[in-house]
Amino acid sequence: MKPRHATPLAAAALLVALPSGLPDFWLFIAVQVLAFALYAVSFNVLLGYGGMLSFGHAAFFGTGGYTAALVLKQPGLAPALVLAGLLPAAMIVSGAAALVIGFFSVRRAGIYFAMLTFAFQMLLYTLALKATPLTGGDDGLTGLKPPGLIASPLAYYYFTLAVVGAGLYVLHRVVRSPFGYTLRALRANALRVQYLGVDVRAHRLAAFAVSGAFAGLAGAIFALSSGNVFPSWLDWTASATPVVMAVLGGTASFLGPALGAAVYVVLEVVISGRTEYWPLAMGVVIMALVLLMPAGLTGVWRKGG
Amino acid sequence: MSAAILRVEALVKRFGGLTALDGVDLTVETGEFHAIIGPNGAGKSTFFNTLTGLLPPDSGRIAFAGRDITGEPPHHVARRGVARTFQITSVFGNLSTLENVQVALLAHARRSWSMWRRARGLRAERAQELLGLVGLAGSAEQPAGTLAHGDQKRLELAIALAGEPRLLLLDEPTAGMAAQERLESIRLVHRIAAGMGLSCVFTEHDMAVVFAVATRITVMHQGRVLAEGTPAEVRARPDVQQVYLGEPA
Repeated sequence: MKPRHATPLAAAALLVALPSGLPDFWLFIAVQVLAFALYAVSFNVLLGYGGMLSFGHAAFFGTGGYTAALVLKQPGLAPALVLAGLLPAAMIVSGAAALVIGFFSVRRAGIYFAMLTFAFQMLLYTLALKATPLTGGDDGLTGLKPPGLIASPLAYYYFTLAVVGAGLYVLHRVVRSPFGYTLRALRANALRVQYLGVDVRAHRLAAFAVSGAFAGLAGAIFALSSGNVFPSWLDWTASATPVVMAVLGGTASFLGPALGAAVYVVLEVVISGRTEYWPLAMGVVIMALVLLMPAGLTGVWRKGG
Repeated sequence: MSAAILRVEALVKRFGGLTALDGVDLTVETGEFHAIIGPNGAGKSTFFNTLTGLLPPDSGRIAFAGRDITGEPPHHVARRGVARTFQITSVFGNLSTLENVQVALLAHARRSWSMWRRARGLRAERAQELLGLVGLAGSAEQPAGTLAHGDQKRLELAIALAGEPRLLLLDEPTAGMAAQERLESIRLVHRIAAGMGLSCVFTEHDMAVVFAVATRITVMHQGRVLAEGTPAEVRARPDVQQVYLGEPA
């Protein structure tokens, strides 16, 4: 075993052993952590590697959630077909949404890119709110349950673990590939990359689509677990979540945002169980963490090791 | 008559009311080491940017190796075999020195779309060779952002060479260097380019550097070509001395 595999393997072993004796509530939280870990890592492929700050990533998480809900609510589909088609459908639809939104957004960089992604996400939010026959409007889509084999909380936890593990593996391959190297070079100097003969806009668009597809996968997983999707999933505050998670965990590390997601979700559960002013307390804690560890949790780790 | 690798005819570029390039003609023969000199604001950088498609020209024609490339975007121009370096050093500071060259090699091999294979070992041997060529073999694993300024300039050269270009455009390749380092640096470029049979166009402020390696010189002034010729011819022109060279040598 190579040393660089030690931490991920230990984490995987821990996650496999985790459910023994865990109450259903914490299994639900564990699924949420895993889903948001995938969401935050997919977001960070853009920010940490490509230097693109998407401020509308909730668009894809939400699209994935709604797609999963719609497939699940489709009458007359065989359960096996639902099970097999659910996640690919969520990835395809959110990936396609990312292609369309990205087509316009990647023409600009920096704050203009962020504003464009923000604007498109608000558009989808409005759509989710107003297209009531399809999306249930303000009431969202509720009563979602994982189909057949993965119906029990324990089964769904392992299902999520497998899917998120596979998703992270694929994204890791992507950032280590020639495409990933090109993305990192793009972050440093897009003009220079263009002069290497690379179509910068097309590469940015591809990164955006890949990131959007995996954010959608995360959204689908979380939708089945939470049992509902609401327009608020596409609200702009929801787009801040992966930003905070990634920065908290450390954008310079592949798994940093996953760690950030775990800390964020668990903090939220613990604090909101104790005070109704939990967003205030969350804000203070996150501020303190970011001020004390500007490179994120994994940044401290790396400096120490 | 030897074949021209680059032929620019009546190139015009305006920014609002300012005419940055006012009908520039330039012919670079294959194998030439062609210096473009001129005071700041003469239009040298605009010329490079227009030549390579970063800025669309208002009129004029650009032919590379006999093919019209006017209006093509930079990544197409690069693919045809035109490499450039930048006035402000432009290495990828967040990548290792070796990875900088690998990215360029992979782009040239059209592998930048490959999303599955591990990039680590890909084209690494060739990248190491190129680093050796510019004298950076020992710094392969170092983050490029931590290299000394002169080393970053040499890394830029290795990145440019990775695309197997036929024409090198160097925008002030010795900017920010000490006088002695400048001469060494341009001689290194000259040796490598000559060894590979490359043609080269470079802009430069240091006349010692220009006269050390240039086979032809074009003098630009206020967006126009003021003079063009061999170093001896250009040096002898009184108008050139007046606008740029200052006191007669």
